Amino acid sequence: MKFYMLTIKMTLFLILFLTIGHNSASAEAIKVEEGESIQAAIDRSKNGDFIFIMPGVYKENLVIHKTIKIRGEQGAIIDGGADGNVITITASNTHIEGLTIQNSGTQQEDSGIYIKKANENTIKTNNLKDVHNGIYIANSSQNQLLENRITSYESHFSKRGNGIHMFKGGEHLLHGNEISDVQDGIYFDFTKDIRVTENHILNSRYGMHFMFSEQILAKKNDVERNITGFMVMDSKGIKFIENRVADHFHFRGFGILIYETKDVLIERNEIIRNSTGLSLEHGVDTLTTGNIIGANQVGLEFKGKNQQNTFSENNFIGNVVQSKISGDDMRLDDGLKGNYWDDYRSFDLSGDGIGEEAYKAGSLYDRLLQKQPYWQFFFESPSIMLWTKAESLFPSFGSANVYDAKPLMEPAAKLGDQEQDQEKSLLPGIAGALFILFSMLVIVKGRKQL
Amino acid sequence: MIKKLGISALILVLLSGCQNSSMEPEEINPEIDVCEVCNMGIAHKHFATEIVTEDGEIHKFDDIGCMDEFLQSEGSLNEAGTAKKYVRDMESGEWVDLEKAYHAYHPEFWTPMANGVVSFKNKERAEKYVKDQGMGEVLDYQALEKHEWSWEQ
Repeated sequence: MKFYMLTIKMTLFLILFLTIGHNSASAEAIKVEEGESIQAAIDRSKNGDFIFIMPGVYKENLVIHKTIKIRGEQGAIIDGGADGNVITITASNTHIEGLTIQNSGTQQEDSGIYIKKANENTIKTNNLKDVHNGIYIANSSQNQLLENRITSYESHFSKRGNGIHMFKGGEHLLHGNEISDVQDGIYFDFTKDIRVTENHILNSRYGMHFMFSEQILAKKNDVERNITGFMVMDSKGIKFIENRVADHFHFRGFGILIYETKDVLIERNEIIRNSTGLSLEHGVDTLTTGNIIGANQVGLEFKGKNQQNTFSENNFIGNVVQSKISGDDMRLDDGLKGNYWDDYRSFDLSGDGIGEEAYKAGSLYDRLLQKQPYWQFFFESPSIMLWTKAESLFPSFGSANVYDAKPLMEPAAKLGDQEQDQEKSLLPGIAGALFILFSMLVIVKGRKQL
Repeated sequence: MIKKLGISALILVLLSGCQNSSMEPEEINPEIDVCEVCNMGIAHKHFATEIVTEDGEIHKFDDIGCMDEFLQSEGSLNEAGTAKKYVRDMESGEWVDLEKAYHAYHPEFWTPMANGVVSFKNKERAEKYVKDQGMGEVLDYQALEKHEWSWEQ
């Protein structure tokens, strides 16, 4: 039965492949079984061939140097024997699917899959474990990494490699990968034009690490329980849209840290429960809009010189310290709309939803904290409260003047939230009505019995 | 007895408190140590550098380039005797006085902040690294002083 299924699958694949590919009229399907060598099959294959790997453990380090498709049946394991890369791809347009890839070497660039100067490869639904780096892509473009699972070995993060490391090149698509227990989840090293969507990264050092990279879009990723969520350094043209960045509670953890980077968009993200939610240091031309920045130890932090940074319609809710400001003066609204700050205490006399008095971010205490971190101990002590109050009465007291001239009176609605609320409110309503009906019934019945 | 113990404990505390007057470098703990300039966690311990001041303050960096950037903003630390600067031999991890170290440089050499300067405890090791990599040049302290860092360009 199993054999029949397989033959059917193989024929289906072949038909599919034959109808799509043009030059593959003579494409062959090669089956490799446990005990045979996959490399030998690759070596004797032609461009366009299919290789099916049957279940079993294959102790090999593969080099894929032809345009072929490799598909692992469930339980097909390739073991690199703790030496070098498990699979090295030097050909373009290959397709690797459904393999378990394990046990790479431990040198800096040793990886489960290493793509070297090769383009338009698809790496899909593989399971990479006990590898130094998961997938390393060097000097390549337009590769697609889809729905792979990647973990490194048991060790301190400083001894592990990265989940997906890209060095130079670009135009890749990373979608739906699950990466945990590595050094940095996704590392952008001198790369360009990359889309990263719906990946889940956890229990690592940095979720995503940007170094000297440009034009990267990260959308709908779930990044949690690392030391820092997004670490952005010396880059430009970075877009973060609708990501969830949560639970970065490390002593030096950040949800998002932007350092010496320009042209950044942070839109509709959930930045919750981090040591510091969003930190800007030497940021230029950033737009932060429609985010929830909540339940962080410190919501917003500015350090050093930041220029042309705009904040609008963000909700700052339930942060222990709303903002920690040092550096230059800055205005926090876009001129029309500001942000919702849950510690804002003033009135909206004109009824336009915008408070009449500016919200001043940061206090003298924040600036003291910057110099003397231990003073956190005196948080909300009577003397600090008095100090903060005194400062609010004499606004020129502090050094940096960072304020929101258009603070919102109500939290800004996140797009798509409203319909959900309606659905939610319907159910308790119906339940309530049923309860009332039932109790009326009980009362009526009870009375009749008396 | 308790008194004696107390005194010896006190002496111990005093001794350990004084330890840093010799301005020795401190081991890197990748779990908590971050670079003072660029905020990056120091995961690649052998690329770490340190400045130990005469007051016993220790500044840690993930890359020699960050240390240089720090020294440019804190000019007073460049005066003789105020601070010791350490780099590590990239292969062995030994701490080496910056002034005695030799460095291999090529823009393509990997370092945490892509400055391309890799440090060694002596000239031979730096030369060997350049030879093994097939590119780059060897810098001594004087040449390093004149070196133009990637962030200065």
